[in-house]
Order: sequence, then structure tokens, then C-alpha cells
Amino acid sequence: MLKIENLSFSYEGNKGKPGYEVIRNLELTIGDNEFVCIIGPSGCGKSTLLKMLAGFEKPSEGKIIYNGQEIKSVGYERAMVFQEDAVFPWLRVRDNVEYGLKVRGVPAETRKEHVNKFIETVGLKGFENAWPKELSGGMKKRVDLARVLANNPETILMDEPFGALDAMTKEMMQEELVKIWEGSKKTIVFVTHDIEEALFLADKIVVLQHIKNGGEAEVIEVPFERPRTVKIKENPEFQKVRRRTVELLKKYEREEE
Amino acid sequence: MSAAKNISRKLLLTAVFFIIWTGVISVFQIRPIYLPGPEDIINSFIAMRASLPSSILSSLRITLSGFLIGAVIGVGMGLLMAYSRTFMNIVGPFMEFTRPIPIFAMIPLFMIWFGLGLWPQILLVALGVSTVLGVQTYEAVRNIPSVYINASYNLGAKKSVMFKTVICPYIVPHLIGAIRVAAGTSWGLDVAAEFMGVQSGLGYTMIVRQMYLDTPAIIAVVLIYSVLAIILDQIIRLIERRLTRWTEREKMSF
Ligand SMILES: Nc1ncnc2c1ncn2[C@@H]1O[C@H](COP(=O)(O)OP(=O)(O)OP(=O)(O)O)[C@@H](O)[C@H]1O
Ligand SMILES: [Mg+2]
Repeated sequence: MLKIENLSFSYEGNKGKPGYEVIRNLELTIGDNEFVCIIGPSGCGKSTLLKMLAGFEKPSEGKIIYNGQEIKSVGYERAMVFQEDAVFPWLRVRDNVEYGLKVRGVPAETRKEHVNKFIETVGLKGFENAWPKELSGGMKKRVDLARVLANNPETILMDEPFGALDAMTKEMMQEELVKIWEGSKKTIVFVTHDIEEALFLADKIVVLQHIKNGGEAEVIEVPFERPRTVKIKENPEFQKVRRRTVELLKKYEREEE
Repeated sequence: MSAAKNISRKLLLTAVFFIIWTGVISVFQIRPIYLPGPEDIINSFIAMRASLPSSILSSLRITLSGFLIGAVIGVGMGLLMAYSRTFMNIVGPFMEFTRPIPIFAMIPLFMIWFGLGLWPQILLVALGVSTVLGVQTYEAVRNIPSVYINASYNLGAKKSVMFKTVICPYIVPHLIGAIRVAAGTSWGLDVAAEFMGVQSGLGYTMIVRQMYLDTPAIIAVVLIYSVLAIILDQIIRLIERRLTRWTEREKMSF
């Protein structure tokens, strides 16, 4: 279980200048095996929040409790799929996917099995020996995802992982991800700009506001039964929840107009 | 461009070069002591043929050992400075202070401290190479995008493993330029080192020939240095191409 308690965060300012406040008094609980999507305007601190969950940044105030213990450092049980391209360009696809297993000292036999399985899962069979520079942006993202999945983390933190994919691949990856999640008891925290994506994937959606509008976080429960298919997007109930989410998202936009 | 075309173009350029060279000498009546003709230089080669191989070997030994030792120490220091803050705090200020000192200005001190002989000369070359590469390595490490480091830790790597699997491969293409410059400099350092006073080597040959105002021989030695430097540079580029197949650098088309 992930408990975010009274969390505030500011980026440190350069000498003398005040820090840059991003998150204020955030409270949020994410249950085990839950699929949570975080949605919010650009710059509201979604990536920053994920970085704290991963342990790259420390809260300025408050704390994050993971399975009863405060998060103090990075751990492979909380894996991050970065918003930027994080695939190592000096390793071939296979070695990228194998990386986590290798540095953790997993035996070669097991490594090979996992690597092949997840390269296939993300649809990159046949590209095992390619250099990242030979792949498209979407393919690199899939290498990144396979690398994280192969490492078998408990929690996956995903920062707009499918933003760069075309609609077809995106839908395929969404379905794959849900399948992996349903089959493996993982907690997923998934940042996205795409409301339909959030509604299709999530158990609950956190709408995070920009700090200049108070930075509050509101939770929308997503009521649809699982397993879901992409068809639910045509469901009138789906459209209703969608509209509610859009309204929450645009709450402040309208006031500014 | 086809290979044949490429070669014929190079031959043509060489021919033009020789024609201008001999032409300038005969038109302006330049004396060989200022600018000798091609045949003077060839004669020098022939006259020196007995001593040249041992001179070349002697210079190669100083330059290559100095370059290799300096490269290992320089890159090692750069990595250590990046790895350990404590090491950086101890060595960093010292490096900052000594780096701007022109290495050639150290020659008299070297002679006093270490005397003459092979090791002081190798040391001089190594020192020059290592200061350049130490700084360059440290800077290259500092420029690595943090997302790679974060990803490595996030996948379970310890600091030492992260250094081996992320930092080291990342800096290679960023160091190649510096390594090539350092290799070039090490030939110059070899000349300077031999001016320190030994009894063999190409640099030593140059000093002796200079005393006789034997310009053709000096030019002959300069040519040998150039050829050696080009060969070393080509070897480095060959290694580079093997090590950096993953980069997108080779196709520079703008
Ligand atoms: N390293 C940093 N140093 C200082 N300020 C930063 C840093 N990283 C981000 N910020 C600032 O913090 C704020 C939140 O950034 P963050 O990347 O978390 O936003 P985001 O919600 O992920 O946005 P997007 O949807 O565009 O990815 C932004 O205003 C940004 O300018
Ligand atoms: Mg972001």
C-alpha cells in the first residue's frame, strides 16, 4: 500500500532565490494491486510526484509510506517508466531488457527466459539485436516497458508511457498492460493526458490541479467491470464518467476565461 | 565517390604539390638551407638510413608508453573524481591549480628533479596527456543525462555497477576527440622530452642536425613524425569505430 501523507514539494531555487513550489499538502492512498491514473494540466507536478514515489526526489514536507515503511531511496520494487527516453543507446534491445535482471544477479537461464517473454509481449520480436538508434520513438518506449516488466517489480510507475505511440499500437499496449496487470498482481500508477486511456485502464483516476489553483487532488472511481474491452468506450456510462472528468480537469480553466 | 576516383584525385593533388614545391625553389632561387627540394630530403633519408630505425624505436617507446600511461591515469583520475566526492575534494583543487601550468615550462624542473633518462621523458609525456584527459573525463561524466543514471539505479544497480554499465560506455564517444588531441600532443611532448637531453631518438636527431644547419634532414624527421602521428590517429579511429557503433555520429550529413 502507498500512503501519501500531507506531502509538499518544492524544487530548490538557485543560490538565494526562493524554491519553486510544485505540490502542496497532498493526501492520497493507493491500494495494493490497484491501477491508478493521474491526470492533470501540464506542469502540475505529475512527473515530480512519480519521482518521489520512485525515490529520486525527497518530499520537502510530509511523507510517503510504502508497505508500512517511509520511502527513503530508490528500489527496484518500485519501477519507473520515464517520460523521457531512458533506453540505454549503448546496449542492444536484448541487453536493455536484460539490464535489471543482470545487475541484480539473476541467473543467466532465468534472464533469457524473461527477456524473450517480455520482448514478445511488447511486440518487438525480431528486433532483439537492434541498436536503439535503429528504432522509432514508440518502439523505444516499448523497450523501456519490457525492461521494467522483465525486472518483475511490485509497483510500476509510468509517466505518459504511451504518449508517443500511434492509436493502434497504443490500444494494443493498453490491452497488454491490463492483461499483465490482471495476471500478476501489480500496483500501477499511470500518468497520462489522455482521459479515455485513463478511463479504460484505471480503477480510479486522480485529477491533480496546478498549484496556482490550489493543487488539490480529486479522486474519481471508475465503475466499469473487468475484464474491459475497448468497446466500453462506446458505452453511454463511459461517456458520462468521461464528461465528469473533463469538467473536473477544466474547472479552473473556465474560471480563468 | 568511387575508390578509383578518390585515389586518382589524391595522386593529382600530390603531383600539384610537388610541382609548386620545386617550382617555387627554382623560380625564387631559394637555397636548400631554407627550403630544400624533394631530392635533398630523399638524400637525407638515405644518408640517415642506418640510424633511423633505432631513433624511431626510441621515440616510439617514449611516446607510446607516455601516452598509454597518461591516458590510463587521466581517465582513471577523471572517473575517480566523479565517483567519490572525497577524492574530488582532495585532488580537485590540486588539479585546478596545476592544470594551467604549461607542461613545457616544467622541463627544466623535470631535469633537475628526475635527471636524464628514459623514465623522466615518459613521465613528461604521461603528465601532459593525463591532465588533458582527466579534465575531459570528469566533464564528460558531468554531462550525462540524469535519466540514464536514474534508470540504472531504478532497475537495481549499485553505484559501482552503475558506473561500469552507464557512465563508462556513455563517455567513450565524448572522449574520443580528447584522446585524439592528446595522442597528437604526445608527439610534441616527445620532441620536447628529447630536447631535455638524451642520446637517441628522432627529437635528438633533429637537434644534432640543426647544429649542422642540415635542413633537409630536419624536414625528413618532421615527415617521419607526421607519418607516425597519422598512423597512431588512424589506429585510435579504428578502435573508436568498434566501440561506438551505437552512436548516431558516423552519418554527419548537413
Ligand atoms: N528539475 C527541476 N528543477 C526545477 N523545476 C522543475 C524541475 N522539474 C520540473 N520543474 C518544474 O516543476 C513543475 C512540475 O513539473 P512536472 O515535470 O512534475 O510537471 P508534469 O505535471 O509532469 O507536466 P507534464 O504533463 O508537462 O509532463 C513545472 O512547472 C516545472 O517547470
Ligand atoms: Mg511530466
